[in-house]
Amino acid sequence: MAIKRSDFPLPDVDEPSTAPYFAGAARGELVVTRCTGCDRYVWFPEPLCPTCGGALEWVPVSGRATLFSWAVVRRPFLPAFDDKVPFITALVALEEDPAVRIVTNIVDAEPDELRADMPVEVTFRPLSFATVPGRSVIVPMFAP
Amino acid sequence: MAAAADWGYASELDDVSGAVAIAGIGETAYTKASGRTAREIGAEAAERAIADAGLEPSDIDGLTFSGAFPDFDAAAFHEHFGTSHDLWTSPWGGGMAWAATAPYLAAQAIKRGDARHVLNVFPVAWATQRSSMTGGPGEVHATQAMKQNFEVPFGWFPQPVYFATIMRRQMLEFGTTEEQFGAVAVACRRHANLNPDAVMHGRPMSIDDYLAAPFLADPLRLFDSCLISDGGAAYVTTSIERARDLPNVPAVVKGVGEGYSASGTHWAQQRAFTSTPQVFSAPPAFAMAGVAPADVDLLTVYDPFTVVSLMQIEDMGFCPKGEAGAFVEGDTLFHDAGKLPFNTHGGLLSHAYVLGIAHVVECVKQLRGSAAAQVPDAEIVVYGGYTGHMASTLVLTKDR
Ligand SMILES: [Zn+2]
Repeated sequence: MAIKRSDFPLPDVDEPSTAPYFAGAARGELVVTRCTGCDRYVWFPEPLCPTCGGALEWVPVSGRATLFSWAVVRRPFLPAFDDKVPFITALVALEEDPAVRIVTNIVDAEPDELRADMPVEVTFRPLSFATVPGRSVIVPMFAP
Repeated sequence: MAAAADWGYASELDDVSGAVAIAGIGETAYTKASGRTAREIGAEAAERAIADAGLEPSDIDGLTFSGAFPDFDAAAFHEHFGTSHDLWTSPWGGGMAWAATAPYLAAQAIKRGDARHVLNVFPVAWATQRSSMTGGPGEVHATQAMKQNFEVPFGWFPQPVYFATIMRRQMLEFGTTEEQFGAVAVACRRHANLNPDAVMHGRPMSIDDYLAAPFLADPLRLFDSCLISDGGAAYVTTSIERARDLPNVPAVVKGVGEGYSASGTHWAQQRAFTSTPQVFSAPPAFAMAGVAPADVDLLTVYDPFTVVSLMQIEDMGFCPKGEAGAFVEGDTLFHDAGKLPFNTHGGLLSHAYVLGIAHVVECVKQLRGSAAAQVPDAEIVVYGGYTGHMASTLVLTKDR
């Protein structure tokens, strides 16, 4: 792989374009980017608002969302996931703007309990990988 | 579903209908890990396409290749053929979506007088590279900051997982069944079993076999997913007048289209999650060609996963949105009996994962009447390309 980071696939908390998301999670806040000009949520973050060209700021949101789609990953596509399968990876649509989809894991639920567009709520959990010993990052996950 | 087409856009293309034709095709063997480099594979495909066109390497004065995977560029061409003449080149060719638009670039270069015979080449050696743990389709994505930090840590990676969630959403929105996804895989395998060049030749698969295969990422099963292969192909485009002087029946370029999703390769954020930019690409291509989807004798589409085939069949207008599942049931996609013969060489699922270049070659063979699973009287054939945020459409017809 051309990925040189030794802590891959943990998030790179020093990457400027995405760091505030993980800093927010560490404080217990789900934060996403919103335009200071037109108040639209913009996700993923962009350098400027694609609609009006305004600057973006990171703002907290409620953490309430609906389950847009999910998959039960059974094959580990990276060695880091060898001891995690099966797990539920999902896209959840924010209550504030369903066009904002957060890529996350669904926890505290079995796959057969999941339903389209069911309500889910953020929970902040440490993410770690056996392949990256001694490191963890607090991330937003979601639960019914 | 978003009714408004505000999630993407089409490129404005000049009308090139009927100006150029594909006059030569060349293919290498399609295999699992071969130990060969993509450059070697590209050279072999190029050599065969030039010979098939009845030309010499020195006649080739234009070259389109993949800027993303530039394994066979002008330097490789000259090194292989021992030539040194001027070559008009563009890195916006090769495979994937660009396998459809390379003939458009050729048409423009020919019109400008920059070239007479334009070679488009695409080789891949991902099966060989995978065994040494380098390269492959996932790596490109894992290097992007948003994917690396917002997607990969949650196991939403690589492509089989993206498309498992698209598949799930399609099932939830439209009621598409697992057997309907399976119908696509079974049709492709049926065609591969008629095609001795296909990697999966000699390995028949029933719907029960499909359903019995393991999930990679539920609801996506093993046989919803494309192969990883070594192989390559090439084709030569020239003016229609010149093509008529060359040995083969010309495959006339009648329509080209190109469409984009505004969310780029961030599928997670694509507004119309269960659509492809064929919504934007196919209609102008059909308009340029002066044909309707109902006129099409054969469709090949870039089919990394079964759901991508279903989406493109809908988005290109072969059936209403949300109805592709029911549409593909039964023999619809079969080469000899179906109403929409589909990926008649076996597709990325069962022929080889050479990223669409073989789809275009198959279209040309069908027009020549030389395909392994020949569609009777194929006169209008279409390739739908799909790469990340881009879709493309190529309409080829018999000369008449
Ligand atoms: Zn704005």
